Amino acid sequence: MHRDIFPAYHARSCHYNLLFPMKADTAIIARAVTKRYGSLTALDSFDLEVERGTIFALLGPNGAGKTTLIRILTTLMRPTSGEAFVSGLNTARQGREIRRQIGVVPQENSLDRYLTARENLELHARLHTMEPKKYRRRIDELLELFGLAGRQHDFPDTFSGGMQRRLVVARALIHEPMVLFLDEPTTGLDPQSRRAVWDYIRSIAGRMTIFLTTHYLEEAEQLCERIAIMDHGRLITIGSSAELKAQLTGGATYEIEFADRAELFAEALRRMSCVGGLEIADRVVTVKLERWECLAEVVSALNGAELRRISLRERTLEEVFISLTGKGVRE
Amino acid sequence: MNLRGAIAIWRRDMLVLRRSIFSELVAVVAYPLTIYLAFGIGMQGYIGPVDGVSYGLFIAPGLITMTAVNAAYNESVWSLWFHRKVQFTIESYRVTPISVSEIVIAKILSGFSHGLVKGLAVALVIFAITPFRFPLTSLVAYLAFLIPGSALFSCAGVISGTLMDKPETIGRVEAVLIMPLIFMSGLFFPLSSYPPAVASLVRLLPTTALFEGARQTLVNGSFSIPFSASLYLFAAAAFAAALLIFRSKLAE
Repeated sequence: MHRDIFPAYHARSCHYNLLFPMKADTAIIARAVTKRYGSLTALDSFDLEVERGTIFALLGPNGAGKTTLIRILTTLMRPTSGEAFVSGLNTARQGREIRRQIGVVPQENSLDRYLTARENLELHARLHTMEPKKYRRRIDELLELFGLAGRQHDFPDTFSGGMQRRLVVARALIHEPMVLFLDEPTTGLDPQSRRAVWDYIRSIAGRMTIFLTTHYLEEAEQLCERIAIMDHGRLITIGSSAELKAQLTGGATYEIEFADRAELFAEALRRMSCVGGLEIADRVVTVKLERWECLAEVVSALNGAELRRISLRERTLEEVFISLTGKGVRE
Repeated sequence: MNLRGAIAIWRRDMLVLRRSIFSELVAVVAYPLTIYLAFGIGMQGYIGPVDGVSYGLFIAPGLITMTAVNAAYNESVWSLWFHRKVQFTIESYRVTPISVSEIVIAKILSGFSHGLVKGLAVALVIFAITPFRFPLTSLVAYLAFLIPGSALFSCAGVISGTLMDKPETIGRVEAVLIMPLIFMSGLFFPLSSYPPAVASLVRLLPTTALFEGARQTLVNGSFSIPFSASLYLFAAAAFAAALLIFRSKLAE
């Protein structure tokens, strides 16, 4: 329903900032957003655009500024400087209109333990000024969709972590938002529950813009069309998973499986100048090349070897993440 | 201002109160009833009449009022602290289209409602076990004190629940500020017991306006306009302060 009225919002709005006109297919814009807490700069001239209808992931180590950005975009906090827009609306001036159009799944479950699952949803439907006839039907749908219909009259305290998380997601969807913010939606869940949440996110993808932050790189890779990595309050890079991996410069890692004499050939490879590292595990030698161009030299050096397999080990998003944000543990 | 959000939160609080009403009332009634039995009945024979009425009748309006305003304060302070620091539900309200003012109003309304319900419960018990009967006009006039009094304490609860991050601090504020204010206002003794200089200062307290005004209305059948007016002014100021403090705290 909101999607239907969205063009109307655009057409008649004074929401647009004339300096930064918003494209019709852009759901979220951050322009030079800075947030300072005393001497600490949590966000430093942060720029971002998220296309409408996509699933977008924001990655970063602890303290990178992800939650601060979400709090600004969801109107919970004002930036020190810069501007942010959600659905064409200015977060600093049109908070109430923005909050009509967004759903938020915070890091903490924030469920009301004195209300049943159904009552939790009813309360939020009322806060969104939905009419009882409409929200009752919507709640039935959501409880069914999230597998909670059988427990709707139970209190959240009696739910597993996964069920509580599903209820929070259902709560965020009650008013059919145009943009859904998920702040670490699967943190603390077991693998089964995590995958169940992924399935729900996939099932609603396309109907709304989904903006998620996560520490699980696999989650971003599985779910998101575009991924941004931030650190120290700044955007470092943005692109699809494949684009980010392609940005990793330098060499490549190959796995070579020998039929026999693996140690002999490994020794020969180790002496080559373009081999940056080498590991042997049984008959499999993992070779890190300084440059992918030196693969030809490696193949020549293997002349006479009985090979079973040479394969390129695909780069992972984690390698990209670590290469951009460093290995140091953050406080 | 659209108050649909405030009403939604107030309805939530009333639903929770309805679920636990029996256990809440037992706990709430027990305290003033014990005081009444100890002082109003047990000590009555030793104390004798105060301001021309029996000691039991002298303290009865104060006990009803104390129950109401304590309930209003406790509901507001603990509810706000719990929803802000433990359950994070305030955060979940704030990402809906309601305003911060609506959250404050809802919490003040809830505290106020708790105060009225629990004050009424104590009143019924005291009326049931004593021969005291007040004229209907006095009871209606008493509401002119009870309503702003409950609202004032509810606002004070919102302010404490907003400012205090640790539960032990909330307990200290109650012990150091709220209870002394209540007891200093002549709940158990007439203001004439104070030295004149102190009495004139005590008369400026909002709690004095509440307890003394309530007693004069119920026991003497007289209505103190200055006490009533000052109570409404204090309540309005406390409401503005609660709104301001809650807003600035959430903006941090």
